[in-house]
Amino acid sequence: MAESVITLPKTKRKKSSKFGQHNLVGYLFISPWLITFFLFTFIPLFVSLILAFTDFNVLANSGDFIGLDNFNRMFNEDRRYWKSVYATVKYVVFAVPLRLIFALAVAMLLNTTRRGIGIYRAAFYAPSIVGGSIAVAVMWREIFGNEGLVNFVLGLVGIVGPNWLGRPETAIWTLIILAAWQFGSPMLIFLAGLKNIPKALYESAEIDGANGWNKFRHITIPMLTPIIFFNLIMQMISGFMVFTQAFIITGGRPLDTTLFYALYIYRRAFENFEMGYASAMAWVMLLVIAILTAVVFRSSSYWVHYEADEGN
Amino acid sequence: MKTTKLSLILTLIATFVLSSVAVMAQDQTEVRISWWGSQTRHDLTIAAIELYEELHPEIDIVYEFQGWGDHWTKLATQAAGGELPDIMQHDYARIEEWVNNGLLLPLDSYIEDGVIDTTNIADSSLAGGLVDGELYGINLGNNSENFTLDADAFEAAGIEIPADDWTWNDFEEIAMKLHEELGIYAIDAGITTEQLWKSTYMSCCDSWAYNEDGTALGYDDDQPLIDYYNMLLRLQEAGAMQSYEENVAMGDQGVEANLIVPQEAAMAYFWSNQIVAVWGAAGEDRNLIMHTVPRVEGGQPQNYIKPSMFFSITSQAKQPDEAAAFIDWFVNSIEANEILSAERGVPVSSVVRDAMAPTLGAAQAEMFRYLGVIENNNSPIRPADPAGHADIQNNVWGPEFVEPIMFGLITPEEGAAILREEATRILGQ
Repeated sequence: MAESVITLPKTKRKKSSKFGQHNLVGYLFISPWLITFFLFTFIPLFVSLILAFTDFNVLANSGDFIGLDNFNRMFNEDRRYWKSVYATVKYVVFAVPLRLIFALAVAMLLNTTRRGIGIYRAAFYAPSIVGGSIAVAVMWREIFGNEGLVNFVLGLVGIVGPNWLGRPETAIWTLIILAAWQFGSPMLIFLAGLKNIPKALYESAEIDGANGWNKFRHITIPMLTPIIFFNLIMQMISGFMVFTQAFIITGGRPLDTTLFYALYIYRRAFENFEMGYASAMAWVMLLVIAILTAVVFRSSSYWVHYEADEGN
Repeated sequence: MKTTKLSLILTLIATFVLSSVAVMAQDQTEVRISWWGSQTRHDLTIAAIELYEELHPEIDIVYEFQGWGDHWTKLATQAAGGELPDIMQHDYARIEEWVNNGLLLPLDSYIEDGVIDTTNIADSSLAGGLVDGELYGINLGNNSENFTLDADAFEAAGIEIPADDWTWNDFEEIAMKLHEELGIYAIDAGITTEQLWKSTYMSCCDSWAYNEDGTALGYDDDQPLIDYYNMLLRLQEAGAMQSYEENVAMGDQGVEANLIVPQEAAMAYFWSNQIVAVWGAAGEDRNLIMHTVPRVEGGQPQNYIKPSMFFSITSQAKQPDEAAAFIDWFVNSIEANEILSAERGVPVSSVVRDAMAPTLGAAQAEMFRYLGVIENNNSPIRPADPAGHADIQNNVWGPEFVEPIMFGLITPEEGAAILREEATRILGQ
């Protein structure tokens, strides 16, 4: 008994030093990421929070503490701010569901084991790889331009196409359609989710006389709800941050109908040099996205069905 | 054994790297320069730079170029990071803001020492670069706004070339007639620029959009502006002016994409130096005549002579002396200006102008002729735009004034009120 009391502390020390060593090695391995995270994400985030309460000007490289003035100006005085919010919300409300619907539809089509299915999958995924790139945006601008592909095709059928990019009613839709076209990433995730649905469920439903729509509504969708939940969150967050497409294709025009929030932040920060104001805008967006994400998370207990649960 | 081999290899690599760095450091002095412009300007400027590098093998000029909008965004970011180039192209409307923020070097000492030779440059040409009595930019070419007329289109429509003192009423009449007779646009929607807001008040009321110290608007009567926009709405309605939505859809493709080039418009409005790019794109066989800007009924000339752009030396320049030498060569060398083809405006050095006169192409000759006309037909230039001008141009003029009016959402009266309110607020800060 006396021996065990003596040996215990020894073992403890050995364990802790090994534990410390393992920790150190772990940190060393992730140190590149950790350092860059600290330098390029965490510190700028922290600095921008401070700047949000100042009137820092990039050109003057100086600013004074002005308290909540930026927020007051944003909500009460800035005419373009609410137009920007409206444009962004409209984009998210239409682009995200459209993208998810296309993603699910195409995933279901690709959920077969035909020969060459890999090629089709790659083809449908391809637009997303070139994703938010400048090249695609420039091409999209050409397609919807005055003498672009869309109007050319319409002309063949005798319809005079409108100025897609010039009219306030249509400009934002060119961007929404672009978002819907790039459904590749959520599509692959849906595909993985579809493959995880046990065939046995469909077979027993067929025996009971279920048709395609019934199977879709009562088996596919409920089983996919975790995936839908994940895709919804991810697409919603990236939808609010849309920038490149608006910057290249429409530049926020006409009438600020495509002046998405991230683009407006960029304009204020780098064209107007108002870094303080832009930082305040950025933090407001962070808060809004965080709140909306939290809302979706809360609601998930009502509609997301995890297989481990009983009942519907 | 392993360690000695490894250390040997490392020493070899280190020696190689360090020695090549040392060699590079002795080799050439690097001068950085940044400008904006269209493709024509980029090509010509690069050709001139290459000539300078041939003449001065110890200098390596590293250049960057971009469009107008990107130029300011990029350079502001560089300014914040302490990374400004040695030479930057600057503009009359922006130079005061940059000087106030201590970002440009005064050039007077270089002129006194003769590094930048101004003996052949008229004082009036240099005056535009003065801020608070010190010179911060060397004028790269004299400029004035112009309405370029397609002489063939005018002839086909049976319209005479108007007189130099034509008014906006004459312009509207001619535009409607051109559209009726030829079925094309009289002009594109580029005449919604703030430039014509400022010069309208110069013409009608002997003032300017801004007052002298740039603390408020320079006029009390919004009517001239309202009249101008009512005219634009009439022209748009009749199809004589390109519709604003079509102009938006076209985007900013550079001056070579102006509608006069493919003969889809009979007139065009741009800065006189841009005729070089436009005529180049339109083709040598065209008959383009540069004409004065219409003036307000009963008013002064709406043209003024302006430095088209400057080269300034930034306060973060690493090689200011070499930068000054390059600017001196750029402005005074006959060979340089022959390459540059007066694309930045009429050269400010009389020696260069005389040397170039016999060999000018059609576009340059027309530009030189036009500036000669303007010399006798202009209003004095107003002080440089105040620091709030960029803010007003980006956030008020386009999105809150021009676009709502041209899309029919508000009347010009309502627009003028918004413009006054917002501009006064920004200028008062």
